[in-house]
Amino acid sequence: MGQLLHTFLTGSFSLLLRVFLIVIPIMVVLEVFEGTPAFRRVVRAWAVVVRHVGLNERSAAPTLVGFLFGLAYGGGVIVRDIRRHDLPRRQVFIMSVFLSMVHAVVEDSLVFLALIPFSLMALFWIVVYRIAWAALVTLALTALAGFLVRRARR
Amino acid sequence: MHEPPATSPTERLLRDLRTGLRAGLVTFWELARVMVPAYGITLVLQYVGAIAWLARAARPLMSLLGLPGDAALPLVVGYVLNIYAAVGSMKALHLAPQQIVVLALAILIGHNLIVEGAVLQRAGMNAFAFGALRVIAGLAAAALAHLLMGLF
Repeated sequence: MGQLLHTFLTGSFSLLLRVFLIVIPIMVVLEVFEGTPAFRRVVRAWAVVVRHVGLNERSAAPTLVGFLFGLAYGGGVIVRDIRRHDLPRRQVFIMSVFLSMVHAVVEDSLVFLALIPFSLMALFWIVVYRIAWAALVTLALTALAGFLVRRARR
Repeated sequence: MHEPPATSPTERLLRDLRTGLRAGLVTFWELARVMVPAYGITLVLQYVGAIAWLARAARPLMSLLGLPGDAALPLVVGYVLNIYAAVGSMKALHLAPQQIVVLALAILIGHNLIVEGAVLQRAGMNAFAFGALRVIAGLAAAALAHLLMGLF
C-alpha cells in the first residue's frame, strides 16, 4: 500500500511535469503564431485534408495539435476553444473520433518502429494504414451518429 | 471587453505571450485535474490484478490477429497503462516483425484509455463509449491488417 502511494506520487509528478513542459510551449506558440500568414497557411492546408472527414477550418488547429502531439494535448486545445468560441458538438465529436484513432503520429509510431528492422512496409501499416483507418471509422461513425440524431428528433 | 489595439509589434508579442502563458496554465490545470485521478485509478487496477485478469480473458481473441495468447498481456497493459509499458512487456515475447506491426496497430489505437478518456470526458464526450470504441476499432484494424498481410 505504501509502495502504491509512492508510485502514485512520483508517477503523478513526472506525468504533470511532462504535461506542463508540452502544454505551455504549445499554447504560447499557438497564441503567438495563430495570427501569422505562415501559420494560417499551414492550418488551411491541413483544413483541406481534414475537410474530407467533416471537420471545418476552426477545428483544424486542435486536430493538428492532437495529430502531432497526442490526444491529451489536442483535447486541451479543444477544451480551450470550447471556452473561447462555441465549438459545435458535432465538430467536437468528429475530432474526438478521428483523434481517438490517430494521434501523436510521430512519437507513438517511432516507439513501435524502433522494435523492428526498418522497412517501408512496416511504415506503411503503422502510419498510412492507420490514417486511412481513422478516416474510414470517422466517416462511418459520423454517418451513424447523424442517423441516430435525426431518428431521435423525429 | 476588447483590449486597446497594440501599437507596436513588441507590445503585440508581449500580449500574445501573456495570453498564451495564461491559456497554457489554464489548460495544464484542466488536464492535471482529470489526468491525476485517472492515473490513480490505473494504478489501483494494476494493484488489484485487473491487468492479469483481463489479459487472461483476452487470450482467445489473439488468434484473430495471428498472435500467441501471451500477446494479450502487452495489449491490456497498453489499454490500462500506456504505450511505453506495453512495449516493455512486448519485448519478452519474441514476436516476428509482422506480428509486432499487427499488435502495434491495436495498441496505437487503444492505449492509456483511462487517462485519455478523462480528457475526452472533459471535452464533453463519453469516456466509456470512446474507450470501447478504441478497443474494438483497434482490434478490428489489427485483424484486418493481419488478413491483408496474408493476401500479399
